[in-house]
Amino acid sequence: MSILNELLDAPVNLSRRRFLASTAVGALVIGFGLPLGSGRVQAATAAERGTQVPAFLEIRPDGTVRLLSPFMEGGQGTHTAMAQIVGEELDADPATFIVEAAPPGEAYVVMENGMRITGGSMSVRMSYPTMRRLGALARAMLLQAGAKQLGVPVGELTTQPGRVVHAASGRSLGYGELASSALDMPVPDPASITLRDPSQFRWIGKPVKRLDAYDKSTGKALYSIDLKVDDMLHAAVQHAPRLGMTVGSLRNQPQVEGMKGVHSVHVLPGAVAVVAERWWHAKRAVEAIQVDWQEAAADSTLRVMPADFSSDKHFDFLAAQQGPVRDDENEGDVAAALKGGKTQLEATYHNQYLNHGQLEPPSALARFNPDGSLDIWLPNQAPDMFRADIAKRTGLDPAQINLHSPLLGGFFGRHFLYDSANPYPQAIALAKAVGRPVKLIWSREEEFLRDVLRPVAVVKFRAALDDKGLPVAIEAVSATEGPTEALAGKQGDKIDPTAVEGLSGKSYAIPNKRIAQIYVKGAPMLGYWRSVGNSLNDFFYESFLDELADKGGHDPYELRLHLLRDNPRLTTLLQAAGELSGGWKRGPFTAEDGTRRARGVAMASPFGSHTAAIAEVSIENGKVKVHDIWQAIDPGSIVNPAIVEAQVNGAVALGLSQTLLEEAVYVDGKPRARNYDLYPILGPAQMARVHVRIVESGEKMGGIGEPPLPAVAPAVANAVAQLTGQRVRSLPLSRHTFS
Amino acid sequence: MELRINQKAYQVDADADTPLLWVIRDDLGLTGTKYGCGLAQCGACSVLVDGNVVRSCVTPVAALVGREITTIEAIESDEVGKRVVATWVEHQVAQCGYCQSGQVMAATALLKHTPAPSKAQIEAAMINLCRCGTYNAIHAAVDALAKQEGA
Amino acid sequence: MNNRRFARTAGWLALPCLVAAGLLAWYVTREPATPFEQEQAGARFEPALVSRGEYVARLSDCVACHSLAGKAPFAGGLEMATPLGAIHATNITPDKQTGIGTYSLADFDRAVRHGVAPGGRRLYPAMPYPSYVKLSDDDIKALYAFFMQGIKPANQPNIPSDIPWPLNMRWPIALWNGVFAPTATYAAKPNQDALWNRGAYIVQGPGHCGSCHTPRGLAFNEKALDESGAPFLAGALLDGWYAPSLRQDPNTGLGRWTEPQIVQFLKTGRNAHAVVYGSMTEAFNNSTQFMQDEDLAAIARYLKSLPGDPQRDGAPWQYQAVAAVQDAPGAHTYATRCASCHGLDGKGQPEWMPPLAGATSALAKESASAINITLNGSQRVVAAGVPDAYRMPAFREQLSDAEIADVLTYVRSTWGNNGGTVDANAVGKLRGHTDPASSSPIILHMR
Repeated sequence: MSILNELLDAPVNLSRRRFLASTAVGALVIGFGLPLGSGRVQAATAAERGTQVPAFLEIRPDGTVRLLSPFMEGGQGTHTAMAQIVGEELDADPATFIVEAAPPGEAYVVMENGMRITGGSMSVRMSYPTMRRLGALARAMLLQAGAKQLGVPVGELTTQPGRVVHAASGRSLGYGELASSALDMPVPDPASITLRDPSQFRWIGKPVKRLDAYDKSTGKALYSIDLKVDDMLHAAVQHAPRLGMTVGSLRNQPQVEGMKGVHSVHVLPGAVAVVAERWWHAKRAVEAIQVDWQEAAADSTLRVMPADFSSDKHFDFLAAQQGPVRDDENEGDVAAALKGGKTQLEATYHNQYLNHGQLEPPSALARFNPDGSLDIWLPNQAPDMFRADIAKRTGLDPAQINLHSPLLGGFFGRHFLYDSANPYPQAIALAKAVGRPVKLIWSREEEFLRDVLRPVAVVKFRAALDDKGLPVAIEAVSATEGPTEALAGKQGDKIDPTAVEGLSGKSYAIPNKRIAQIYVKGAPMLGYWRSVGNSLNDFFYESFLDELADKGGHDPYELRLHLLRDNPRLTTLLQAAGELSGGWKRGPFTAEDGTRRARGVAMASPFGSHTAAIAEVSIENGKVKVHDIWQAIDPGSIVNPAIVEAQVNGAVALGLSQTLLEEAVYVDGKPRARNYDLYPILGPAQMARVHVRIVESGEKMGGIGEPPLPAVAPAVANAVAQLTGQRVRSLPLSRHTFS
Repeated sequence: MELRINQKAYQVDADADTPLLWVIRDDLGLTGTKYGCGLAQCGACSVLVDGNVVRSCVTPVAALVGREITTIEAIESDEVGKRVVATWVEHQVAQCGYCQSGQVMAATALLKHTPAPSKAQIEAAMINLCRCGTYNAIHAAVDALAKQEGA
Repeated sequence: MNNRRFARTAGWLALPCLVAAGLLAWYVTREPATPFEQEQAGARFEPALVSRGEYVARLSDCVACHSLAGKAPFAGGLEMATPLGAIHATNITPDKQTGIGTYSLADFDRAVRHGVAPGGRRLYPAMPYPSYVKLSDDDIKALYAFFMQGIKPANQPNIPSDIPWPLNMRWPIALWNGVFAPTATYAAKPNQDALWNRGAYIVQGPGHCGSCHTPRGLAFNEKALDESGAPFLAGALLDGWYAPSLRQDPNTGLGRWTEPQIVQFLKTGRNAHAVVYGSMTEAFNNSTQFMQDEDLAAIARYLKSLPGDPQRDGAPWQYQAVAAVQDAPGAHTYATRCASCHGLDGKGQPEWMPPLAGATSALAKESASAINITLNGSQRVVAAGVPDAYRMPAFREQLSDAEIADVLTYVRSTWGNNGGTVDANAVGKLRGHTDPASSSPIILHMR
């Protein structure tokens, strides 16, 4: 497929249109060839990763650089970061970049773990050297082309942003002028490339402005839900009230078919759908369908939701589980140390189910083309996985599937390949059935019914303190099911790290420790939620650590410093957070406005980064009010401090939201909330001021999007305990009353 | 019925109870206004009607005949709106951006009525939800706009 | 809504303690007279009669209690909580084992119009037989035909009540009946026209409007069962909802409603003044919208003939504009949570989002309905098979008792409204024993 075709087939895109208006349409074919389907792309070995320059870059006659990013933009700023990284080595100002998500294909497998997925806060850290090299290779190709065009040896050429320069003659050529001939250049040997000295960076490490800020402030940014193709119909669905139930009969199909604007009524697995000329008509009509839902068949392959499932009762069930227990960490002699300690302490914690609540409801647009191929536009974080799944479902060859990945209206872990929680299988079935393109949107209510949930755990802690009140042993046994276990439908040979991360992997020098899991399969389908296992486990561990500090008569900040005394990186980080907050003070104290306040501290080490957070709280009308969050983060090194700060703000917001008020409650197998009214998410009035310090230790680069979340809940809970004397061992805080 | 949207007249064939949101998105193709909840909870669908911010997902279209509707697509043709957009970019407010059309509309409505709003007035007006947590950036941007006016 | 008949059943359940036992044993077990003694069981009925009976069942809203969503029609099961224990609506399908398949027309008549099951066992007056007694013989026969022939038998055993002995003895109900339950069918008033009489018949009889709208006495008897009593349909509190006056009170009743507006409300669930909510949503979804236009017109005519009570109702409401910015507690909550739909001016967006200015719930002394709908949101209004375009969100997870009290106090004291303040404790109490409304449409099927 040529670029031109790809552009013409794409849905209306205002920013592209703007581009079309300013350049000749014919010029679009000039530039680097883009081999788009995997059939035309060679599988990349580790050494070759990211070396197929033409697959990634197109330089347009006006010098604009179009970069196809292996990573999806969902607000985390990865497209801007990619422009910074590639631009730095290409010697092109990131502001001249247009970044879009690349199609599936081996060429875009650029991560050092051999995967292509946007998630786990991995994009930048796992592709950083590769994407730099990509930019450098492209620059070398432009230099080659420049040498040919100017008739000078390539060694005499240099670049300045966007131009190849021959200093000796004073001549130069814009990248746009070289694009067509650069196409013919062979990609140089990666080994021949020298990368820029980091001390010379102009854009990496600088607060470069986001490329999408203007489009997103003017409604021009297009998300899946906004797309449109010719002859398209709209669809809406009504899902079975419980997952696994099947459609029996439709009582009123003829009446619904006769409703205004309705094209057709369809029965899908576990759902009914209406296709209509407008989505509003489809939505109203599908709600009107009276379905006799049947209980799931015994051989259902879905995770069947039982009619009596109650999330509250599930906590009791988890708490009652005794085993089998599998150890993830076991150091020293925990049993002996627990027995031998001077003081023992036990506590049981649990957390709550959560929805993703991304503001863009799920949608998918499917179109079958006359040649039998399928175009599909859908929110996703792993295009190759999604394409493989679509190939499996449709029987199409992957080469016949053109998968497009528009901007994501919120990320948070919602866009993984969840079997029962994505609309694209339905959109494809409907497009096939009606013989026209179909855009399916799930209403917010249908989304709440099928969203996968953040897991829950009941964790039983035991610990022992020595005669100085210092912890000598800690044990955490978590009755839980990790999201990866839930996706697999069973326990793996090894413990699911996403189940125990945040309990495991702690750096505190406690000589005897045991972290273990009791695998307990639950009823709701689970998924990844920003910061995954850490989102719950750091709340448990860091809260319990404060309990140990109190029991041993130690200040929790000082205790952490003591337990990290041989870890300079984390000591520095914790001290940075303390400094940022104006010096650690626990309180309670009286603030300037007369309110009584206290502070809490917590740390977390998720996704290759480390964080320390301090929260200041008061009680207002019986509810917890969080005034400030000071957070220090050490991701090793960074690409864009402004985006890091924004991500810390965002992670703090989501962290506060789960701490203060969010909870997905199930009663009789059904979610009580089907919209934001009964599932409130953090609003502006509940947001805290956020103060960020980035500590660049120079260690291996870590993640940014998720790491600032996990320390928020325990920091707040620890502050609340100090202020009220009430130790909170479950979330959200809205379930508790304070005075 | 005839609707005036962004200074243009449109003939719209919609039932009286159709939400304005779906008329502007599906009938007119103006997709900058977003569907988030359909229940007046999030504000992603905010538009201006006669200069006041309105949640278009709960605004039946019949009541809007003869009124002036402004969507995000025309925000920059409004002097205040243009400043809001520029400040939004300057403050790098957006993350995923899905709610930001509505946030910009809410800020524009606020500043049109109250050019130099107080902190309390900003808090009372900027109530739309943002799952990415851009609230502090939003507040800073509106605060900067308020100060521009006050200066 | 499990406890929606709780108030109705509460009072007389106390009676066992109050009444001297045994003295009138013959009285409490006797079977009331019925004109159908001679009718044979097992008769076949014409389809026209069955379908006429189906319409009477619609008028009488039998499904509201005897059907559960997603279950076999009329197989019973709706739980009604009382302070003494739960009772459940029974299986009234023609199943011979668990339903009423063995009932003769006379048995059926005695149960529906007099609350007496075969063998003399008294029904709890959660079954509104004090109203159904007014049903005509023809309608009873039609109803019987429908239940015997129009619906499928469903074998579903009745759920015994939780009420412990001796409180579960039924015979004292007969004494209650003797005092409070009329025994005569509706008799047309010759000084009124046919339309009025038809309206009176539906309202008092099958429609059993008074079950919710008429205030109750100490023994939980409806204080009046027809227009001869001033309390008839004068507004009553029941199960966390205040069913307002249906009399000509301009503030708390239908005084400002025209006959066509009443018809429109019962037919479509909405008009310029209001949208059905609370228990009325069920009555609308299952009953009133299926009524024929002439019957709706008759109801409207009859209701418009019931005088209001200026002493109870006060000076007629008039809209008062307010300044844009309000400092009252609750004003901010109103502006941020309510105004998108109901308007800063309180005028709503009729006929989809009702006005709060001049709303009965904002003028009535009782604040239960206002609190309940704010806490729990609205059930889906399903008109002509299509669920509503707009629904009221539930605010119980977003607003505290005090915040809800404040915002409702604001609503009830602004735009000329004078319902008065709302107490946070009242919000807390209702929060404790109500559940949020489902966002899914609930359809009760009759066949």
